[in-house]
Amino acid sequence: MRPGRRCGVERGFAGVVAVSGEFRREIEALGEVFAFLETFVDGQEVDEKAAFCINLVVEELFTNMVRHNEGGGDRITVSIERRNDHLQLELVDSDVEPFDPETAEVPPVDAGIGERRPGGLGIHLVRSMVDDLAYNYEPEGRRMRITVTKTLEN
Amino acid sequence: MFEITRDENGTISLQGRLDASQVDTARAVFNQVTESCKIDFAKLSYISSAGLGLLFGTQKRLVDSGGGLTLVNLNPHIRELFQIAGFDNIFDID
Repeated sequence: MRPGRRCGVERGFAGVVAVSGEFRREIEALGEVFAFLETFVDGQEVDEKAAFCINLVVEELFTNMVRHNEGGGDRITVSIERRNDHLQLELVDSDVEPFDPETAEVPPVDAGIGERRPGGLGIHLVRSMVDDLAYNYEPEGRRMRITVTKTLEN
Repeated sequence: MFEITRDENGTISLQGRLDASQVDTARAVFNQVTESCKIDFAKLSYISSAGLGLLFGTQKRLVDSGGGLTLVNLNPHIRELFQIAGFDNIFDID
């Protein structure tokens, strides 16, 4: 077991494969997150383009949780599931205030450099690269859950 | 794994994966850039918004002083990311 990863669960049945891991709430844990994703991608023979997308989506959501949920729980759960030609990624953070990424401002991507400001790109990239992004907040456990769905092209 | 080097001509070469955990390494080099230069992406396999933000900040600073970055050898995935970000309007991309 990797030092930063508390657990990993894998199950497979009827065309469904899912893995889950818990990672330290630190930007430095990204290497462990990517290693976790790489194991899944290799096992599922996911193509290079989808693999790039999976890495990007998870990094953007994970780093958002680390940066914007200061004081949250010490672990963030990352799950990935394949159902035939669909991938579902889910990140869960606990002991946090609600923050709905769907409300994030869209950067003015058609503007020239003079009108552009740094920041706000991460969620825009995620929204542009996946089929669906769903946000759920459970007040009881102060738990935030972000689920994205991506259709595989082949 | 990420590496950044600068040759005698001033060209900056990026190698590996430029993610949020590596962006400070890249920033140390980009902060030294004071005039137009070329950035070679040939060996860069991955970049996220953290790296894009660093490139944007550097470009903005250089454009303000009449210069700019030229980006070369982007792989198709990174090129698509630049398009989604609207950075193909902001950078000179070969």
